[in-house]
Amino acid sequence: MGTLTMEPRRQAAPRRRPPSRRGRALRSNLSAYGFLCAALFCFAMFAWWPIVKEVLLSFQQTNLVDEPTWVGLDNFRTVVEDPAFGQAWRNTLVFTLLALVCGFVVPFAVAIVLNELRHARAYLRFVVYLPVMLPPIVSVLLFRWFYDPGPGLFNQVLDVVGLPALAWLDSTDTALISLVIVSTWMNLGSGVLIYLAALQNIPGDLYEAAELDGAGILKRIRHVTIPQTRLILLLMLMLQIVATMQVFIEPYMLTGGGPENATVTVAYLMYQYAFVYGGNYGAGSALGLMLMIVLLTVAAVQLRLTRDEKR
Amino acid sequence: MKPRNLPILLTAGLVLSLSACGGTSSDAKAGDVAITVACQPAKTAAKQRKAWDDDIAAFEKTHPGVKVNSTDQQPCFDPKTFAAKLAGGQMETVFMVPVTNYADVIAKKQAKDITGETGLVKNFGDIKQDVRDMVTKDGKVYGVPNVSYSVGLVYNRKLFTQAGLDPDSPPRTWDEVRAAAKKIAGLGPGYVGYGEYGGGNVGGWHFAQALFSRGGEMTADGKAAFNSPEGKAVLQTLHDMRWQDNSVGSKVLIGWEALMQQMAAGRTGMMLGAPDVVTDLVQKFQGSVDAYGIAGVPGGKASLTGGEAYMINPKADAAQTRAALQWIDFQFNTPGKGRHDYARGKANGEAVGVPNNDYMGDSPTGRALAKAREENAVLPTKNYRFYVEAASGVEAKLEPPKAQELYAVLDVPMSAVLTRKNADIDKLLADAEAKANSILAKG
Amino acid sequence: MSPLELKSRWGRKIYWALLAAVLIVFTLVFVFPLYWMITGAMKTGEEIARMPPSLFPKTPDFSVFADAWQLFDMGLLLRNTLYYALGAWLFALAVDVTAAYALSKLRPMFGSVILGAMLATLMIPPIVVMIPAYITVTDVPLLGWQLLNSPWAIWFPVAANGFNIFLLKRFFDSIPNEILEAAEIDGVPPWRVLVSIILPISRPILGVVSIFTVVLVFKDFVWPLLVLPDSSKMTISVGLSQTAGAVTQNQIMAGLVIASVPMIIVFLFFQRSIMAGLTVGSLKG
Repeated sequence: MGTLTMEPRRQAAPRRRPPSRRGRALRSNLSAYGFLCAALFCFAMFAWWPIVKEVLLSFQQTNLVDEPTWVGLDNFRTVVEDPAFGQAWRNTLVFTLLALVCGFVVPFAVAIVLNELRHARAYLRFVVYLPVMLPPIVSVLLFRWFYDPGPGLFNQVLDVVGLPALAWLDSTDTALISLVIVSTWMNLGSGVLIYLAALQNIPGDLYEAAELDGAGILKRIRHVTIPQTRLILLLMLMLQIVATMQVFIEPYMLTGGGPENATVTVAYLMYQYAFVYGGNYGAGSALGLMLMIVLLTVAAVQLRLTRDEKR
Repeated sequence: MKPRNLPILLTAGLVLSLSACGGTSSDAKAGDVAITVACQPAKTAAKQRKAWDDDIAAFEKTHPGVKVNSTDQQPCFDPKTFAAKLAGGQMETVFMVPVTNYADVIAKKQAKDITGETGLVKNFGDIKQDVRDMVTKDGKVYGVPNVSYSVGLVYNRKLFTQAGLDPDSPPRTWDEVRAAAKKIAGLGPGYVGYGEYGGGNVGGWHFAQALFSRGGEMTADGKAAFNSPEGKAVLQTLHDMRWQDNSVGSKVLIGWEALMQQMAAGRTGMMLGAPDVVTDLVQKFQGSVDAYGIAGVPGGKASLTGGEAYMINPKADAAQTRAALQWIDFQFNTPGKGRHDYARGKANGEAVGVPNNDYMGDSPTGRALAKAREENAVLPTKNYRFYVEAASGVEAKLEPPKAQELYAVLDVPMSAVLTRKNADIDKLLADAEAKANSILAKG
Repeated sequence: MSPLELKSRWGRKIYWALLAAVLIVFTLVFVFPLYWMITGAMKTGEEIARMPPSLFPKTPDFSVFADAWQLFDMGLLLRNTLYYALGAWLFALAVDVTAAYALSKLRPMFGSVILGAMLATLMIPPIVVMIPAYITVTDVPLLGWQLLNSPWAIWFPVAANGFNIFLLKRFFDSIPNEILEAAEIDGVPPWRVLVSIILPISRPILGVVSIFTVVLVFKDFVWPLLVLPDSSKMTISVGLSQTAGAVTQNQIMAGLVIASVPMIIVFLFFQRSIMAGLTVGSLKG
């Protein structure tokens, strides 16, 4: 960071001789790395090293005080044999799928509707993004109260409209979908606004042309809207998958993974290993490594698809 | 923001980054010793916090040269950060460990061997032998126990009266619990006869308590032993109370606070809990001061013990260790001082009188403590006599090995019987047994 | 502009009906929960548990906010969070702007490799490396720093943000090199080029990056839960989750209201930047 010395310009200028090419390259490299060094430090220590460390840890056992011991595949064996392992993956996948339906299809539909409207746009955009601004803990604690089987808002509303009460978080059938609802509510806004921006980038004459051809609204969506926003849809799909696969705060705060492990997710299980079951960092890291590999695969598929698309 | 301010900001940021992470400076003068002690009461408990701060001041006055800093992390023992705090040198000189974690902490060498210095705690010899044994390994002592209790049945006497039950004849068997719960739930919507946990590791924890009370075992010879008639009875009773009597409420309780909150709200009749539950209900959760009674654990075969000990940071030097033990002696083990200053507790509106600590047993100190507690009692101590009477005849049981992992496994059947009418108890227990065996087999 | 047919009478009717429906549904779904939170806070413990619930608190009780402020120790939590957020903002801006500038304009050897490695971290969400990152923070390799309960446990990882670098670099790339070359011939050192030429024209993107960083720190939960366990160091999210178990439902709601206010204020003031940032980030992959 030493390159930020406050050297006055006037002194520097006259002294400069035309430098040799190699000298110039060296100098510019030096100053470039001077500018880069803070970022390199931060990335090296807090972004790149943890990835390497995750791989190391998953083959180690450590109590953080003594030297870690190498345990081969023991950690992987531990987590794979964990009774909640299969369930955690299944829940994570189901959660991701449900969250995609709610968090991908719904915002796109909402964006299409919003794009048709010419009034109250600012208001609608504002309210749809409001939950995104709230700290997730606020949304989660708020919904914990709504889900209360007794005086909770949802069952009260059901009661008013004459429907039977639901158990929400307290049933294996509804617990996971209840978590999806919270997650959708607090994340929907960003998707909507991104799609809305994409829709507004579609040239209006494309619609006019379609209209002249006598295409109805559904046809226009199919033949104009979707093809025109394909890239962004694809990108958002992948981002959503990556974002929802790491679901943690919802089960952590709302269900503790229950009932009957119905809401245990991979990230939650990871946390349990490292921070609840007496510091089994190795097993937790092994789970993390597996999740990382899955997410990298998703990312690779996405890169592949977008490249094909761009061609 | 004007653009010309940006460079200043950027430079400020960089300077900030350069000045980061200087060494930790110690404000102690030469010859002085500074220790950090855990478990200062939270700010939400203003009076208790002030009492603690007063104790620190008094201690510093009588021990010149000793500087005591407190930490108020909540909860006081946090398994989440324990290992990292210790590794990172952030562990307090004096820290609290719950009985569940004794073995683990000692095995991992995370507490200091204080065998030669226990004399600094004047009443150490009066602590019950079996309680002291828990912090002893291979003849070496690693901590000073200062709380010990076992689980009983906490019940709301007012609700008992309302429901036409006799609060002076609390349930002694699980059948009686079930019958009483049904009556209390009958008081109307929102009333819960018997509160129980269904997840977040506390479900399995209470399963263990109920299992012991019926004479069951969690583990035997390194294998799961809860798939037994007793284990089945625990789940069957709970299932029937939920689905036949509808006396345990419809909300699944997750996390320790959930049931405490519900019990303190005054519409829940009974729960399994040690006497300290009453203290917390009244002090932390604003429960009614005179509503709660404690009885012996239903079934009465055996009871899960709980408790805490203070241990010393293995990195503490000799002077710190000395000061630390003096603090433990002053604050937690002297009748009339610190925690055992019941007169002050009474003045602060604490729930004095609950027999929530029996670690000194029938020793002279133990008797002195019991007497002082009785004299300053705020609560009608007769409400707890059933527990005290029963306690001597109940076998005390320690938590099983790998407790948290087993509890997570047992959360499943607990939540199942509380959320599914058609729960297959035999299968649930068999599954849990298989899972527990694979966990226990890992050694 | 809108493709919907508005000319016919029916079309107009459908439009107004749709608008009304959308307005009602959006208000119910996104605003009503917040209304319920605020009014819930102002109900008494008795009233909040009543079935069926009252739509409006009988005697709105504003003192609950003061209670919650005290019980949750909101002053401390807000102060902490603000400190972390502002520090993260300054630090991340300083680190990321210099890095993006170097990568975009100074083009050092291996620059593209470094950029690639920085962007690659975007594929790995933070929670996946939660455990190793946590262990790193408790004992930073080589340096032996111990950052638990230190604000640097927040600031360092926030600065290692590939997305910020990506946004900044892309913006800097769009600044014509001619200007810089002219400056270089004049003998202007690189840092002055950055400060007096690049930064002034980069205000929009700096605004976006700033908002991102502040919001990120304010909303984060798991990471501060792990690295700032000391109750005097907690962030507002963690503090809320820790105390929520010991207070009543209306007090919890009051706490949530207080915690929401700063973010809503930020949103009101920087709505344009925030919304611009959303699209700038994702439109062109």
